[in-house]
Amino acid sequence: MDVSSFMEGLSIALEPMNIMWIIIGGFLGTVVGMLPGLGPATAVAVLIPITFSMNPISAIILMASIYYGAMYGGSRSSILLNTPGDGSAIAATFDGYPMAKNGQAGPALAISAVASFIGGIIAVVGFIFLAVPLADFALKFGPAEYFLLMLLTLSAIIALSIGKMVKGFLAMMIGLALSTVGIDTQTGVYRFTMGIPHFSDGIDFLIVIIGVYAIGEVLYNFLNIDQQKKEKKKVGKVWFSKEQWKRSRMPILRSGPIGFIVGVLPGAGGTIASMIGYTTAKQTSKNPDEFGKGAVEGLAAPESANNAASVGAMIPLLTMGIPGSGTTAVMLGALIMLGLRPGPLLFEQQPDTVWALVNSMFIGNIALIIINILLVGLLVKILDTPAKVLYPLIVMLAFIGTYTLSYSTVDFFLLLVFGLFGLMMKVMDFPIAPLVLALIVGADMEQNFRMAVLSSNGSLGIFFSSGVSIALLVLTILSLFYPLILKLVKNKNNNKTQDDEVYKSS
Amino acid sequence: MKLIKISVPAFFTLFSIIFLIASLNLPKANLGNPDAPMYFPVGISIIMLIFSVIYFIQEVKNLHVENEEIKQILSGRTPKLIGFTLLFGLIYAFIFNPLGYLISTIIYLGALLFYLNGYKKWLVNIIVTISFSFISWYAFSELLGVSLP
Repeated sequence: MDVSSFMEGLSIALEPMNIMWIIIGGFLGTVVGMLPGLGPATAVAVLIPITFSMNPISAIILMASIYYGAMYGGSRSSILLNTPGDGSAIAATFDGYPMAKNGQAGPALAISAVASFIGGIIAVVGFIFLAVPLADFALKFGPAEYFLLMLLTLSAIIALSIGKMVKGFLAMMIGLALSTVGIDTQTGVYRFTMGIPHFSDGIDFLIVIIGVYAIGEVLYNFLNIDQQKKEKKKVGKVWFSKEQWKRSRMPILRSGPIGFIVGVLPGAGGTIASMIGYTTAKQTSKNPDEFGKGAVEGLAAPESANNAASVGAMIPLLTMGIPGSGTTAVMLGALIMLGLRPGPLLFEQQPDTVWALVNSMFIGNIALIIINILLVGLLVKILDTPAKVLYPLIVMLAFIGTYTLSYSTVDFFLLLVFGLFGLMMKVMDFPIAPLVLALIVGADMEQNFRMAVLSSNGSLGIFFSSGVSIALLVLTILSLFYPLILKLVKNKNNNKTQDDEVYKSS
Repeated sequence: MKLIKISVPAFFTLFSIIFLIASLNLPKANLGNPDAPMYFPVGISIIMLIFSVIYFIQEVKNLHVENEEIKQILSGRTPKLIGFTLLFGLIYAFIFNPLGYLISTIIYLGALLFYLNGYKKWLVNIIVTISFSFISWYAFSELLGVSLP
């Protein structure tokens, strides 16, 4: 690590304006993340317009703070309402809500904030050590390797939507199909523009993202808006006892690195990280029977893991320009709009941007723990605000965000179409991340594919020509067969258990 | 319910076929390989068609399995809420430029809030509508430099 770049990054992150954006982003992220059904991707998507008038460094700092703010916020509604903001906050309901029901809401909120803080800090340290070597490694990638890396990312994200792989593939194909609309940059051919000049530059992926995530999520939440229960929780003192800390500290320290590694992997992310964190804590606990009934370590471990994962997810985004999750895909889209192209060259050409972001994560985590502990009363009040008032505001923010993209109301129609499409995807249980990811990397994927084939005079052998390519191909195939392998292993284990039982009974 | 369940894979299948035909009919490139612009879309549409057919078969097999969310979407005031939000969104798109951001936003947000939150909470609806419209206008137009009509 270059110390001077790190220090320069620190001085940028400490600029008053950037500190202000960190605090605003963290607070807004926490608020949106707290709303039932809305997660970090929606938080970043609806708040994107705020970044448009900023310089790229402040914008990325703001978006990152919205991201991990939403991760903090997601657990507030899990603990207090048993309603997770998104998948990564589900594990917080297992023991967080029982704690709140047992009159331990204050300690639950405090331990989740502290666990998130420690997980985040562990991951930032991991980021510092892993990002530069990975960026150096990625510099050796040619078009073939980049194409295969994108393929791996997409296949990994589909493979992890276990039980709905076919739908995952369809979502991905729709994303890729949408990415082909507009003028082909290599030949100048107009593709699928239907004679509409507005489509010449393609369909802006941010409209799709805002439509699917913001409008789609709000429409989806209309399904049970009249049934949403109003639960008033007495929070009490927001701190935890010595005993609770003693029980939580090791699970927190163990889950941080686990969450970080899972976050770095393409397609994994907060949901899986928090589930692994929870399972590991349960397996290593002296009192596994207490899990699910309000075990403090059952809340602390997944909280540490999912926040670490959100920092880990920044690594593939910044070092290779490949988003590994829905939220980082949204961030990539916004960064491209701002003229910042994440990838290995970013570390060489704009090290101050990267290190300012890293330092902002330290500051952001400190700001968030203060927000989440000191302002807990305000946050609980916001959580009390009826969803029937909040959802229309999200819809309005989506419209404003869309308008700021190209100052055209034509995009409003697209926004509504993709909102409806997002609703259909949610109702029919389609994973949304493959659509968003494919849409964003689609154009690059095609260009890299064509450049690779062109450079090898039309031969597809280029995709098997280097060790990295072969490794990426093998990983892609393995990831696609992962659900099948998992099923076979499970069946084998079940058969073995049945055989053992038959043997014992005989 | 069954009709909705089957119409989604049918939509994907139809979309794949249309996309495949459109891809095969893309204009030829004047530079390099004339067919280069169509390879990627053709590949996508073929894979999409294969998975659409698999999805179709899966849904036909599971036609008897009830989807609670489809039920919810068709019951109570949910269809009206969704329809109202989308319809007023369309109207918002038409009135946005002629009436300007402030007036059109007050109309759309006010309509949404009155419909969703109920007429009885008229005071809250009015306060939220007016304050959000003015604050957002000030924040975007004045603080962030976004040019709003």
